[in-house]
Amino acid sequence: MRSIARTGSLIAGSLVVLLVAILLMDYALASRQPFASRPAAEQKRVTAARLARKARDNAVAWALIAAAAAFLTFAKELVKQEKPSMPVGCGRSATRGSRADGGVHPTLPELDLAFVEQMVAKIGRGKEAGIPLLQAIQNHYRYLPDEALRRVCELTEITPAEIAGTSSFYGQFRRSPVGEHIVRVCHGTACHVSGARQITEELRRYLAIPDGEDTDAARMFTLDEVACLGCCSLAPVLMVDGHTAGKLTPATACEALKVTA
Amino acid sequence: MSRLPQVIGRACVILALLAQTALAQAIPYQRPVDTAPQADSIGGGYKVPAVQKPLPRDYWLQVLDVVALAAAMGISVWLVLKRRSRKWLTALTIGSLAYFGFYREGCICPIGSLQNVVVALADPKYSIPMVVTATFVLPLVVALYFGRAFCGGVCALGAIQELVVLKPVQVPRRLDRALGLLKYVYLGLAILFAVKPALARDFLICRFDPFVGFFRRTGAPHMLILGGAFLVVGMFVGRPYCRYLCPYGGLLAWCTRLARRGVTITPNKELDCGLCAGACPYGAIERMRAVRRNCLYCARCYAYCPRERGVAS
Repeated sequence: MRSIARTGSLIAGSLVVLLVAILLMDYALASRQPFASRPAAEQKRVTAARLARKARDNAVAWALIAAAAAFLTFAKELVKQEKPSMPVGCGRSATRGSRADGGVHPTLPELDLAFVEQMVAKIGRGKEAGIPLLQAIQNHYRYLPDEALRRVCELTEITPAEIAGTSSFYGQFRRSPVGEHIVRVCHGTACHVSGARQITEELRRYLAIPDGEDTDAARMFTLDEVACLGCCSLAPVLMVDGHTAGKLTPATACEALKVTA
Repeated sequence: MSRLPQVIGRACVILALLAQTALAQAIPYQRPVDTAPQADSIGGGYKVPAVQKPLPRDYWLQVLDVVALAAAMGISVWLVLKRRSRKWLTALTIGSLAYFGFYREGCICPIGSLQNVVVALADPKYSIPMVVTATFVLPLVVALYFGRAFCGGVCALGAIQELVVLKPVQVPRRLDRALGLLKYVYLGLAILFAVKPALARDFLICRFDPFVGFFRRTGAPHMLILGGAFLVVGMFVGRPYCRYLCPYGGLLAWCTRLARRGVTITPNKELDCGLCAGACPYGAIERMRAVRRNCLYCARCYAYCPRERGVAS
């Protein structure tokens, strides 16, 4: 089917070019002969030649129109098959994953647990040191790595159950690694009403984040749904790291991520 | 929100159109033919040849053309707003191109009739038949209620460009807006040249109609080349003449601001996927909503919509 369309558009296209060339040549030849005052017989001959040319050009023009129609039909078939099936709203969503460092699942760097030991020495080994330790670890690693938590249990009196309870209770702690940039999409009342859900959905689609996860495969962006960013007049709003972008649409939301690039 | 301003606006436009109909129809007149040189004044045994007058088209055929225009617009509205079928609209487009374009040689033309109406209003010695007035008024009235149905599938100039759209690019929004202003400049120029006194008068729109040469398969070479250029550009920029130059399109866009209905991106079932916006070659979908004054009734947004395909095909 595709090869038929290709050959067809090639043939019809060259036919169009050929017919246009014929018409142009005919015009050029005809306009070379001046039409000045001449005897009657000569004038009759010139008139007949003009009429003949008109009829000839008319036939060529019909052929040209038919060839152009054929060309367009075939070419449309070609273009239709090339059309990508992804939405074009935000552009390059399909190529997104390969942006950071080539791999779809970049390996995490080996953890340096010396920091945990320093902190335990500084903050203390009692149960009351639990939350400050977790905060320090989160500040350092930007999440709570399992290895670090295990080391805390080894070094202090805190039990794994307490750590699990504390770290899952508070919203400030997270157990999975974050992307390089955190995108906070406001889901407060004003933003919700003006379409925060659509914004989030569009961003998930754009970053190709699977359901149930919040970070894209390249670990560039982590999506976070937050309660209120405190600028309801700009709804719907999101924050990328320190930048705030307001009055978003699904299209401009994707644009807003590019400030980090 | 009240619909009242729109209703009043529509009523005003219709009244204005009726008034121009009454004014432009004013007087029947005879063209003075005795000013031509006669056989005596030429001398030298000159014989006046028998006058060859091409007969005008029969009146009932002219009325039929207007009826065909109205019917085509009705079908266009029905196909786009009710059936939402791009396939049938393309069939209508080809039909209109064949009839209004190649058969009638581009001469059921509301775009050009604009100038005749202007001259009829400005010059008391010039009047136009009802058929021309109807050709001018009908698409505007349809635009007042349903949007630019004339542009989609009826207008021969639009049809030829619609059919050559191959792989349209999205024109940047600002450039699109800026170029869109050209058509009002052209409208102003066309009116300016049409209201000049009889001898200096010029019908710019008809003289610089880029596609009529194709319909007649003859014409000034520079216009044919320009028309060809428009078509080649039109393969990649959707309908450049309609969007940036057509003066009548400017009038239709104004009327469409008052329209009751028009092409809508079904708000209740949309997915925010943007396929329609990507499919629209005319930049008439902004922020996932159809902009009626730019919408050329091509129904591509419906053809590309995953939610529409199951509904009507």
